[in-house]
Amino acid sequence: MYAKEMLKQSLPLFILCGFGAIVAGSTLGLMLDLFKEIPGLIVVIPGIIAMRGNISTAFGSRIGSAYHLGIIDSDNLWNEDLKQNIYSSIILSFLVSIVIGVLAYFSSLLVGITPNAVKLITIVLIAGLISAFILTLLTILIIFMVFKRGYDPDNITGPALATFGDIITIICIFGSALLVEMIM
Amino acid sequence: MHFWKCFVSGDDNVIYSWKKIVKNSLPLLTIAVIIEIFAGQILLDKQETLIFLPIFLISIPVINSVGGNIGSVLGARLASGLHVGYVSNSFKDKEMQYNVLISLLIAFITYFILAIVIYFIAVLGNIVSDIALISFIAIILLTGFLLVCVISLASVATAFISYKKGFDPDDMVAPVVTTIGDFLGILFLFFVLGIIGVGI
Repeated sequence: MYAKEMLKQSLPLFILCGFGAIVAGSTLGLMLDLFKEIPGLIVVIPGIIAMRGNISTAFGSRIGSAYHLGIIDSDNLWNEDLKQNIYSSIILSFLVSIVIGVLAYFSSLLVGITPNAVKLITIVLIAGLISAFILTLLTILIIFMVFKRGYDPDNITGPALATFGDIITIICIFGSALLVEMIM
Repeated sequence: MHFWKCFVSGDDNVIYSWKKIVKNSLPLLTIAVIIEIFAGQILLDKQETLIFLPIFLISIPVINSVGGNIGSVLGARLASGLHVGYVSNSFKDKEMQYNVLISLLIAFITYFILAIVIYFIAVLGNIVSDIALISFIAIILLTGFLLVCVISLASVATAFISYKKGFDPDDMVAPVVTTIGDFLGILFLFFVLGIIGVGI
């Protein structure tokens, strides 16, 4: 059946995503000093990475189904359906970033650490919004290329977005934490 | 109303609305984020172990990434199959079972290759702390196998249940699967390390 096709389309991408994850893991290692300086920062990392991955892959997955149903293709990409999907990604990023900051603050209080609430929420919000803009643009680019090549978006967009998302998000939160630490 | 019905109602050409997507996604994303905060607290708790064995700090995003990718692709394929109709909403569906088996196979190959790559990157970076290549591969494969089994099950269950309830599986599967992947990936890794007796 199509096992060979799935292997051919997915496996190289999974390996590539694995390399991306190694880069992401190594970048986290560079942030150890920041984690010590900003109490509670490490707690938001899985949350913000997950938020970014979830929003982007759900976006990609919906576009995959839209492609199978003939709503979106490479000649008819920039339509109202795509725009509505973009708005939803940005708005979700804004709302969920605030939720992450607040939850990280209160859960840290429970284990006896007192983070600076304003600082923590600001860091998450800046990182969440900047990564949302970058990832949305990247998503559209990837989808366009996947369509052009005639691949099934279901096999490609999720892993590609999750991986680029992880690296971009960690870099964004790295930058955001450095910025906020300098200003506040 | 079933989600797919809006695909066949002809008058309005625009199918997606940001309000509907936000409304459908927000509750699940919030739950996901709550679980991820717990994952964050586990990482904080195990920070000393990870500093002592940095090879596993690098491995955590890899374990979670592969698990999440396998589950998301499986879920996205099932979602498209359900929308179009070539996958039926049953745990006995042969098409679904075939997809799960291929996912397990791909996961095994992927974890195997990546374990070797991580190990040699760690050798080059001079951070291998007394772990043989074979042991490291065994730890990653065992963690990965446990993870992908649970994730595949979660992916199929989420796709089927959300479709039955009239939600778009595309909105549901990715959050559920990646969240479970992140949390259990970290848990299973420390569980396997505990059994083998490395670093604890």
